[in-house]
Amino acid sequence: MKLPTRFSRAVRRGAQRAMIYASILGPGLITASADNDAPGIATYSMAGSRFGYSFLWIIVWITLGEVVVQEMAARMGAVTGKGLTDLIRERFGLRLTFFIMLGLVLANLGTTAAQFAGVAASAELFGVSRYIAVPVAAAAVYLLVTRGSYRNVEKVLLVLSMFSVAYIASAILVKPDWSEIARQALVPRLQFSTDYLLAVLATVGTTITPWAAVYMQATVADKGADIEHFGHTRLDVISGAALGNVVSAFIIISTAATLFVRGITVESAEQAAVALAPVAGQWAEILFGVGLIAASLLAASVLPLATTYAVCEVMGWARGLNTRRADAPAFYGLFAGLIVISTLVVLIPGLPLFLLMWLSQVANSLLLPIVLVVMLLLANDQLIMGNWRNRRIINIITLVLAVLVTAASLALFWAG
Amino acid sequence: MAVHLSQLIGKTVYDERNRALGRCLDVLVEERSHATPIVCALAVRASGAQELLVPAQQVAWLAPAIILTTDAPSEYLPRGNELWLRKNVLDRQIVDLEGHQLVRVNDIQLIRRGDGRYLLGSVAVGGASLMRRLGLEKLNDLGQRVIGSKVPDRYIPWTEVAAVQPNAPIRLRVSREKLQAINAADIADIVEELDRPSGVALLEMLDDEAAADAISEVEDELQPALLAALPAARAADVLEAMDPDDAADLLAALEEEDRQDYMSLMDTEESAIVGKLLAYPVDSAGGIMTTEYTTVPADLTVAEALVHLRTSPQAREDETMYYLHVVDVSGHLQGVASLRDLVMADPDARISEIMEGSPVTVDVLTNQLDVAQVVAKYNLLEVPVVDQEGVLHGIVTVDDAIDAVIPTAWKKRLPRFF
Repeated sequence: MKLPTRFSRAVRRGAQRAMIYASILGPGLITASADNDAPGIATYSMAGSRFGYSFLWIIVWITLGEVVVQEMAARMGAVTGKGLTDLIRERFGLRLTFFIMLGLVLANLGTTAAQFAGVAASAELFGVSRYIAVPVAAAAVYLLVTRGSYRNVEKVLLVLSMFSVAYIASAILVKPDWSEIARQALVPRLQFSTDYLLAVLATVGTTITPWAAVYMQATVADKGADIEHFGHTRLDVISGAALGNVVSAFIIISTAATLFVRGITVESAEQAAVALAPVAGQWAEILFGVGLIAASLLAASVLPLATTYAVCEVMGWARGLNTRRADAPAFYGLFAGLIVISTLVVLIPGLPLFLLMWLSQVANSLLLPIVLVVMLLLANDQLIMGNWRNRRIINIITLVLAVLVTAASLALFWAG
Repeated sequence: MAVHLSQLIGKTVYDERNRALGRCLDVLVEERSHATPIVCALAVRASGAQELLVPAQQVAWLAPAIILTTDAPSEYLPRGNELWLRKNVLDRQIVDLEGHQLVRVNDIQLIRRGDGRYLLGSVAVGGASLMRRLGLEKLNDLGQRVIGSKVPDRYIPWTEVAAVQPNAPIRLRVSREKLQAINAADIADIVEELDRPSGVALLEMLDDEAAADAISEVEDELQPALLAALPAARAADVLEAMDPDDAADLLAALEEEDRQDYMSLMDTEESAIVGKLLAYPVDSAGGIMTTEYTTVPADLTVAEALVHLRTSPQAREDETMYYLHVVDVSGHLQGVASLRDLVMADPDARISEIMEGSPVTVDVLTNQLDVAQVVAKYNLLEVPVVDQEGVLHGIVTVDDAIDAVIPTAWKKRLPRFF
């Protein structure tokens, strides 16, 4: 029996499995459900309830940014057959790599904590205390993954987490003013307030992340350096990002149409569930709760493990679920550490969760411009990319994105 | 005296009169047959971003400072067999031939020889070298003082590593023998872990047999991609060297057109066997059986049968000879005899007397799960596969039967994300 020993192999499994599901459920939904995990749904719900349709144009532009970044990562994976972190270490050396990995771990720690917060929120919808639900979920995640029995529950989680598609139905049933929605989506209107900037950065932070690029490149690299057929991959990347963001947009539309119009700002899971009432009626809370817990558990299982693989691989440490604990202390230590810390943070009342989310947000927004610049350097390197170097328009869009994210972060620090 | 590459990169290079010439960019070593590689030049970035290669003969010291023996260094002319240590080795994954695993090069140690030349000594892959490069050496020393232990380092002699890289196979001829000696399952793990081009480069270093064994051990879903990355003629050679059932499985996973291409490049006999296996459904006994088995005619004596085995090319090919299959001229299975029966029997006894006349068999179209049931129920090491007329077509060995029931190891399935 052979077990995966490499991060990208773990990824490949996922990708392959996704293809199998894709043949039943359609590839767009897969990507949509991945984009819309607990922090994603929370972010879009809050943004929709607070800013209404006026937030929609942001989604349009974020989609463009996501497509550009993900396409670049996929192209590098297809040309070199190597992961992004591999390329960074080989081209820029250990220090920068270490710094970037540290940032990724911090950011992913925050995202993992957000998943457990999602578990806590949905458990409390059903009247179960978080002090019971979260430790049970954490233990289940650790055991299911290390013992390998995860596979058995995975399909259930995956199907349940597709609930975010219900937002589309919900938004349509509300019968919103579509011409108004189209106008708001196409005409940019910037607001200068701390809340607004925070919402924009949070939305960028759940959609365009260094981690997503690392993950995308590893997936493509592991399929083999098959640059001749890159057209298919490119189409896949674009349609995936587009469909994912369509669901995001519908979350905003349905929250805007149900909550924003009544002046309710989402602060709790009960309130967020209201956005599903048009489609689910009195079952809205159950649909929301079950879907959220499934999406959270799914991400909480994958994210810590994939992060651990990525770190151990680039640092050259023993890794893999087939290694014994004594032989791979860094691997098991980091994996358990990510789960334990994120669980504790959700359980300790008061500051820590907020602090960690904030740190994770900071890590992401500091890291994103750096990783974007590094990606630009790599993707323009003749020796690495040959004839598949970036076109100028890609460079310009990526640079603009990096500058905007930096500017928004700085503005926020300034204001905050 | 040993110097670390990480301590040289970026260091100022001084000429004989102690004037700064530029900064050290890279160290080039020359691969030599049956000897440790020797430093042959330094790549130096002089003022004005101009890069020059200084021959190693004109380098007096690398540590504590890089000092040349001249104030007008000549230009080293690359011959194409140089290894650029920073560009091609540092921070890359490399095969540890002793530990049979992939390691990442954190640093490279150069050793000063009696005549002042530097040799490529070893690569550092441990935690201490990682900390040194991150500038955390003091933290490690602190650990030593405070808790009495520090992160250890690990050095692997250059002779015990293989640097695998597509397009730069300089190191390959030296390590080929050692690579060849690594167990196929370990090679397969390494190939799976490496990025695809490097994995293919590694496979290309092996001979057909070793490459075939390694590919057979690689996960099924990866095999077609690896095969496709090899040159077509080489791929056909590797397919020939594989067990026919493995080759058939692999070919079955390919597109029809590619399958035809490979089979037309293969030796006619091998391709005919594989073609026959391909005709059966993948989950049937015919799909998982091997055609490498041993037959003897029924009318031989035990002594004659042993001679027959030793001289039969077919028996020589057979890797797992647990049973002899007794067949008539038209290939009908008459019975089986275990090797034990043969060895223990009276040399003059007839095979037909000692054989099991009505052995357990499965039909070529029996489902693989049922085959596994049969193997388990009767505690068999292998089960003969026959058609409706009773003609022997192959055998399913116990390992292939088990593979069919234990679903490709649940543990290797990892959580998905997208």
